Amino acid sequence: MQNVDTVTLELIKGAIRSARSEMEALIDRTSMSPFIREKKDYFTAIFDKAGNLVSSTNLPMAGNLIDCILEQYPAETMLPGDLYWYNDPYASRGAVSHMPDMVFVAPIFHDGKLFAFAEAWGHLWDIGGMMPGSISPDATETFQEGILMPPTRVYRGGELNEEVFRVFIRNSRFPEIVKGDVKAIMAACRLGKKRMEEIVERFGHDATVAAFEFMMDQSEAALRKALDEKVPDGVYSFRDYLDSDAVTEQSYGVHLTLSKQNGSVSFDFSATDDQAKGAVNFIMDQSVPKFMAGLYLTRDDPNIQMNSGFLRAIDEVKTRKGSLVDPVYPAPLGMRSHTMIRVNSAIFGTLAQATGGQASAASSCYVLYYLSSFDRASGAFELCIEGLAVGFGARPMADGIDAVYYVAQKNYPVEFAEMEFGVQIEGYRMHTDSGGPGRYRGGCGIVRDIRVIADEATIGLRLDNVKYPAWGVNGGQSGRSGRVVVNPGTPEERELKPLSDRNVLKKGDLVRVTTSGGGGWGSPLERPMEQVRDDVLDGFISNDSARDDYGVVLDEESGEIDVAATEARRAGMAGAMGMFHRRGYFDGLEEAEAAE
Amino acid sequence: MSQYALALDVGGTFTDVIMVEPASGALWTTKTPSTPADPSTGFFDGVDKVLGRADAKAADVTSLFHGSTVATNAILEAKGAATGMIVTDGFKYVLEIGRHDIPRKENLYSWVKPARPIPPRLIMEVPERVQLDGSVARPVDEDACREAALRLKQRGVQSVAIVFLHAYANPAHERRAAEIVREVFPEAQISISSDVLPVFREYERSVVTALNAYVQPKVGSYIEKLSGGLKAREVSSPLLIMKSNGGVFSPSRAAKRAVDLALSGPAAGVIGARYVGDLTGMKNAITIDIGGTSADISLIENGRAQMTNDGEIGPFPLPIPIVDIHTIGAGGGSIAAVSDQGGLTVGPESAGASPGPACYGQGGERPTVTDANLVLGRIPPHLLGGEIPLDTERAERAVREHVAEPLGLDLHQAALGILKIVNSNMVGALKVVSVEKGYDPQDFALVAFGGAGPMHAGDLARLLGTQSFVIPPYPGILCAMGLLATDLQLDYVRTQVQRAPNYDLAGMEATYAAMAAEAAADLAAEGVPAERQQSQRFADLRYAKQGYELTVAFPGDTVTGEAVAALVEEFHRRHEQLYTFSDADAPVEIVNLRLRAVGLVDKIDLPKAPAADGGATPRGNRQVWFDDKGPTETPVFDRIDLAAGQTIDGPAIVDQADTTTVISPDQRARVDDYGNLVVTTERR
Repeated sequence: MQNVDTVTLELIKGAIRSARSEMEALIDRTSMSPFIREKKDYFTAIFDKAGNLVSSTNLPMAGNLIDCILEQYPAETMLPGDLYWYNDPYASRGAVSHMPDMVFVAPIFHDGKLFAFAEAWGHLWDIGGMMPGSISPDATETFQEGILMPPTRVYRGGELNEEVFRVFIRNSRFPEIVKGDVKAIMAACRLGKKRMEEIVERFGHDATVAAFEFMMDQSEAALRKALDEKVPDGVYSFRDYLDSDAVTEQSYGVHLTLSKQNGSVSFDFSATDDQAKGAVNFIMDQSVPKFMAGLYLTRDDPNIQMNSGFLRAIDEVKTRKGSLVDPVYPAPLGMRSHTMIRVNSAIFGTLAQATGGQASAASSCYVLYYLSSFDRASGAFELCIEGLAVGFGARPMADGIDAVYYVAQKNYPVEFAEMEFGVQIEGYRMHTDSGGPGRYRGGCGIVRDIRVIADEATIGLRLDNVKYPAWGVNGGQSGRSGRVVVNPGTPEERELKPLSDRNVLKKGDLVRVTTSGGGGWGSPLERPMEQVRDDVLDGFISNDSARDDYGVVLDEESGEIDVAATEARRAGMAGAMGMFHRRGYFDGLEEAEAAE
Repeated sequence: MSQYALALDVGGTFTDVIMVEPASGALWTTKTPSTPADPSTGFFDGVDKVLGRADAKAADVTSLFHGSTVATNAILEAKGAATGMIVTDGFKYVLEIGRHDIPRKENLYSWVKPARPIPPRLIMEVPERVQLDGSVARPVDEDACREAALRLKQRGVQSVAIVFLHAYANPAHERRAAEIVREVFPEAQISISSDVLPVFREYERSVVTALNAYVQPKVGSYIEKLSGGLKAREVSSPLLIMKSNGGVFSPSRAAKRAVDLALSGPAAGVIGARYVGDLTGMKNAITIDIGGTSADISLIENGRAQMTNDGEIGPFPLPIPIVDIHTIGAGGGSIAAVSDQGGLTVGPESAGASPGPACYGQGGERPTVTDANLVLGRIPPHLLGGEIPLDTERAERAVREHVAEPLGLDLHQAALGILKIVNSNMVGALKVVSVEKGYDPQDFALVAFGGAGPMHAGDLARLLGTQSFVIPPYPGILCAMGLLATDLQLDYVRTQVQRAPNYDLAGMEATYAAMAAEAAADLAAEGVPAERQQSQRFADLRYAKQGYELTVAFPGDTVTGEAVAALVEEFHRRHEQLYTFSDADAPVEIVNLRLRAVGLVDKIDLPKAPAADGGATPRGNRQVWFDDKGPTETPVFDRIDLAAGQTIDGPAIVDQADTTTVISPDQRARVDDYGNLVVTTERR
């Protein structure tokens, strides 16, 4: 490390970043499933030879994607031209957290010596299982969620292992699409490998490996510094809730105790509720909460990469076997994002206590629906899986993001959805008032109207944060809940369970999915009145909310601010608040649990 | 009577002017400060200044070309007109929601959604519905449309965008809505999506239509001022304006399709570089224009600039045909900094024109790329041939305090480190347009221009592995020169999805023919006679189920089975070249048909440089650091002393008024007939 100058290290760092963006561009341009080509559900990374994450997409998901391969195939048995794949969450101990995400790994050699891995994973359209799309709110064991592929060598020295490939593809309801995506992802791995070979050729083995260390050291140092400066020593606990696991009426709590003693930081999730019967279980790899905290605390420095350096800066992550975040095989996992997002908000909850409220409010969990339809005339089955945006939590420096899904995940254009899926989209709006009121407003969810035009259809729904809307912080209030209604405003209006599957629909039914908003930050009475007025004009909040939540009185005729009335109203509304808000204000864990 | 061709490229800081008298081969250049508040002032300062220099009459200007940043700046600085929008009932928030993603490279916890050009309050919903096959499910509610237009009028908008779902398949509703808006709100400028970009994906189409509407009033009034000023000067030549696609069009068309001006300036630079390539016989060139804060990079294959339909401007997609230009935040003003973790970064933060690099002595304290170049002796201690002195001591202090000391390096190592990093960043971007698209840099020359291009070209050519690099005679005004080398160019596109193997040959032919007829009429309206019209067919293809298309030139002038087979074959080849694999068995879809229509414009022959016998004579020597082994006593030439046919062996420095070319010890330069410096790296 000492022998390689900073300039060379930076040059290698830049080259690795470019290699990764090139891998991403390749997948982007050549993939075939709506999930990858339009929604962009794929990620890329470079690892060192020990399996440490060096550089990746900025998405706080598991970082130890190589370990389970190395256990099965020791490094000394690997050859150039090998390619490994797996989607088995249990065999990989949560490295991949639900089965549609197929991981591909190419080992990279220099002078016959293994020195790195190129990795890419993508969410495959269908890998079998009880329902099309392979994720169902009705699942109660992982065998209902498609084919499990343990870490397996799909290429040996450049030769395809045809048998394993055929077996896997045979298990999909949509083999051609899956094959197309697999080709794109494998080509990306090979491209990453080629670029890394060029890098090591140019800079030499030692400098390249030193650059890996340098990148991880930078991230570690940045996170340690942020923890030192922003989080005082102490013990902080928080519990957040998922609405349900779909198959029972039960709600589940994710509990985190964050302790910091003499610079040593520990995350203890042991008090999280027991694992669920439904598919919200989340095999939480140790890296997940560390990445979330790391990305959050270093968010202002664009030079910091999410990598294994973050893992070194936080000493310990504890979970309890048999709990929601450490489930026992074969608990179903398809909707683990519901729990993952609550892990994130539990981290924010502890940070809010540690920093006197200088942390983001909670975000809602992104929403999906699975519409399977059948056209009698053509005999064709169609599968439409659409991701829908929600509102994110407000932050100490900005409003929460309105109408957002997650990192690098795009919606389907209406014109695309209608072309491909046998649906008609009849509305795409903002969910007014769903963002939690605050000095910084929580992000708003959306409304999507979907008309069934096929003869028969069933719909699976994944909408959380209805019973437990995203909480507000530091005086900010919680977001407002979404819902799912069929044929709204007609005599046939009926409400569907927000987390449910196999709801039967008939031709001509209109499904209105309304998604939940994010929590607010800071007192709504301190939001500048001009911003409140603009939000009313733009439809993010209603006149009523402006008056009742923000204390801003607008002239009924002109829509302009009545300054005197507003000031009087705001003075009258001022009162005690708490650190957190959901239904009412509360300060600590006990009050929150009492309230729930 | 004399005749002149005049070109003006209005940039952010300077307006570059070039004028040629084809008959005599005389050429004049000048620069005037740009005037962002009213760019037409800078434009006419430039016109008057160059006419004065040439002692020429405005009436004798017979062709006049212009590159403009009016639209670019309005978009990037969010200073367009108050704009309203009319959309299909239920879809008011398409623009606001966008693609609902957090961009892949951003941190999800700090990212803030960029403000749209039109806020929701100025977007009105009108009941209507066209289906994806173009059939009408619900007619336009004309009363609602009228009311929407009146409300927008009340709210003081100047411009109205109309975007209905599936309008690419049937524009009738948008056209009817436009008529209604025109009736009740005749002052408004109107942009409809089926004119601006008739292809599917409503957010992207909405953005482009909204941006067109947003910049239209500004572009329109600017063009009016230009016309007025030209008239007052009795310039009778028609004005032609550079578009983002590398062609020019008339002011009246520019006023309607203002968004086509979004990348007018950079496109002109690429066309200028292509011109240089044509003159030097190098049909394959990678071009880099390095300015103060950014570098614009592009690739020319066989004399043709690479195009894309998938560009961006600021945070917005720009899916119209544009010259494929990759821009990165690296330039002479890029700031070098050492992070808390001991890393060295250069850019994208820039010292800009104010305070500028430390050596400008205008209050800049932090070291920039220009400071590093000065510390290493690569540039002279003054600008503009001596008009502005540079402060070497300040540059050294900045590099020492902010880079050398924190990293434990000596001054020159630190300055070399800054250059290595910024060069590496630029090489990464050069690879994006070349290696990453399947092109081997060995088959290309690097054409470098802009104020800082010639300083870095030698290092970049070596790192990228091009056979040579070329520095045109006037690297600072190549964009203006490009304006003299362009044609009228209009692009047409229709979405017409064809699934293999059932390609509708007759239907495709009809669509191409319809576009050709429209193009012929448009070119005729631009005053282009039939014999000067050309057109080329293209098609966008993809494997069935893919989401991106590749644009491939259609072989021949008629749609036949053989031509389509050849088209599909070429698609497989391009897919393999770009993405490392192809799939001969997979069905191929044809998604969009495109036509590019060209109206040929007379080219100006640039004057040749005088030739001389014997070698060039340096004016002096300078201590220059090429590596960290120590300085080299290096001869310094003045560009105006160089004559065609001369060669210079590195190490050497060539100074000229607006830039400096650095020639390394292992490189050799030759001056070609047009005064270009063509530099090759010799193996040692």
